[in-house]
Amino acid sequence: MPQFESHFFSSLIFWEVVSFAMLLFLLYKFAFPGILAVLEEREKKIKDSLDQAERHRSEAERKLKDYEAKLNAASKEAEGILAAAKERAQRLLEENEQRLTAEAERIKGDATREIDHERRKAIQEIRTQTTDMALMVAEKVVQRSLNDADHRRLADEALDALAKSSVK
Amino acid sequence: MEDSPLHPFELHNFLSIHLGGLDISLNKAVIMMWVVVGLVTILMIKAGSARQLIPGKLQSLGEILVDFIRGIILDTMGKDGMRFFPLIATLFLFILFCNLIGLIPGSYTVTSQIVVTAVFACVVYGMSVVMGFVLHGAKFLGILVPPGTPGWLLPLMVPIELISQLARPISLAVRLFANMTAGHVILGVLFGLAVSGGLLIGWLPFAFTIAMNGLEVGIAFIQAYIFTVLTCVYLGDAFHLHGSEDHAH
Repeated sequence: MPQFESHFFSSLIFWEVVSFAMLLFLLYKFAFPGILAVLEEREKKIKDSLDQAERHRSEAERKLKDYEAKLNAASKEAEGILAAAKERAQRLLEENEQRLTAEAERIKGDATREIDHERRKAIQEIRTQTTDMALMVAEKVVQRSLNDADHRRLADEALDALAKSSVK
Repeated sequence: MEDSPLHPFELHNFLSIHLGGLDISLNKAVIMMWVVVGLVTILMIKAGSARQLIPGKLQSLGEILVDFIRGIILDTMGKDGMRFFPLIATLFLFILFCNLIGLIPGSYTVTSQIVVTAVFACVVYGMSVVMGFVLHGAKFLGILVPPGTPGWLLPLMVPIELISQLARPISLAVRLFANMTAGHVILGVLFGLAVSGGLLIGWLPFAFTIAMNGLEVGIAFIQAYIFTVLTCVYLGDAFHLHGSEDHAH
C-alpha cells in the first residue's frame, strides 16, 4: 500500500503538526471566542425571553383572576342594587296607591258634601222663588175678587202644599 | 500501476525541502492540509465575526458546527470538558474537512494516510494519559482496574485492561485510515469499471460511483464524529477516573 511508504512519513507528520497547530491557534484566537460568545448570548437571550414570557403569563393569569373577582363582585353588587331598586319601586308604588286612594276618598267625600250643600241651597232658593212666583201669579189671577184676608189664606195654603212636597 | 485502485493514495514529492536532516518535502497531501487549514480558518473566522443575534447562512453553519462539538463534549465529559473545546473542535473540523475535500475528484484524502491518523490518535491518547497522571497521580493506574473487581481477578483484569487501553490509539488511528482508504478504493474500482465498461454497460458502475460518493460524504461526517466522540470519551475517562468526580452522564 502506498500509505506505508515510510519516506513520506516525516514530511507528513511535520506538516500535519504544523498545520494543526496553526489551525488551532487561528481558531482559538479569532473564531471560537466569537462563535461561543454569540451562542451563549443567544442562549441567555432565549432563556431570558422564556423567563420573561413566564413572568408575563403568570402576571396575566393573576390579572385575569383579579378581573374575574372584580367582575363577580360588580355583578353581585349590581344584583343587589337591582333588588333594592325593585323593592323601593314596589314600596313607592304601594305608597302612591294608598295615597291616591286616600286622596280620592277625600275628594269624593268633599264632593258629596258640596253637592249636598248645593242641593239644599238650591231647594231653599227654589222654594223662596216659587213662593214669590206663586204669590205673584195668584195676585194677578185674583186681584180683583179677593180681599186681603183671602189673599193671605190662599198664600199660606199654597206654601204648606209646597213645603210638604219639598220635605218629601 | 495506473489501474491499481490504490493509485490515488500514492504521493509524489514535487518540492524537496530538508530541515536539519528532516525531510519535509511538499507533496499533494501537504498542500491539501494547507487548503483545509485555509478553508476552515476563513469559514470559522467569517462565521465568528458576524455576531448577529439572528445568524446568516455562514454564521449558522459555523454555529451549528461549534454547537455540535459543544454538544459532544458536554455529553461525554460534562461542563469541565469545555476547557478542551478548542482542541477538540479543531480536531473535528480538521478531520471533517480533510475527509470531505478528499471526495473532490483529483484532490487528496489526507486522512487516508495512516501516519496522519496515527499522529492524531497518539496525541489524543497521549494527552489523556498525561492528563490522567497529572490530575490523579499514581491513582490513575486504577484505570486498569474496573471498579468492583475482586482482588483475586486482578492478575487477569489488569492485562486485559492494559490491552484494551493500548488498543485505543491503534483502533482510533486504523478506523479513520481504513474507512477513508476503503471508501476511495471502492470509488476507484467502480469508476475503473465505468471507464472500462464503455457506454453500453459502463453507466451502471458510474451510477454506483455517484451513489457511493454520496455515501462517502456521510462516512466523512461519521468518521470525523466518531473520532471526536472517542477523543472526548478517552479524555473524559482520564478526567473523571471511574466517574469518581461528578460526571455529566
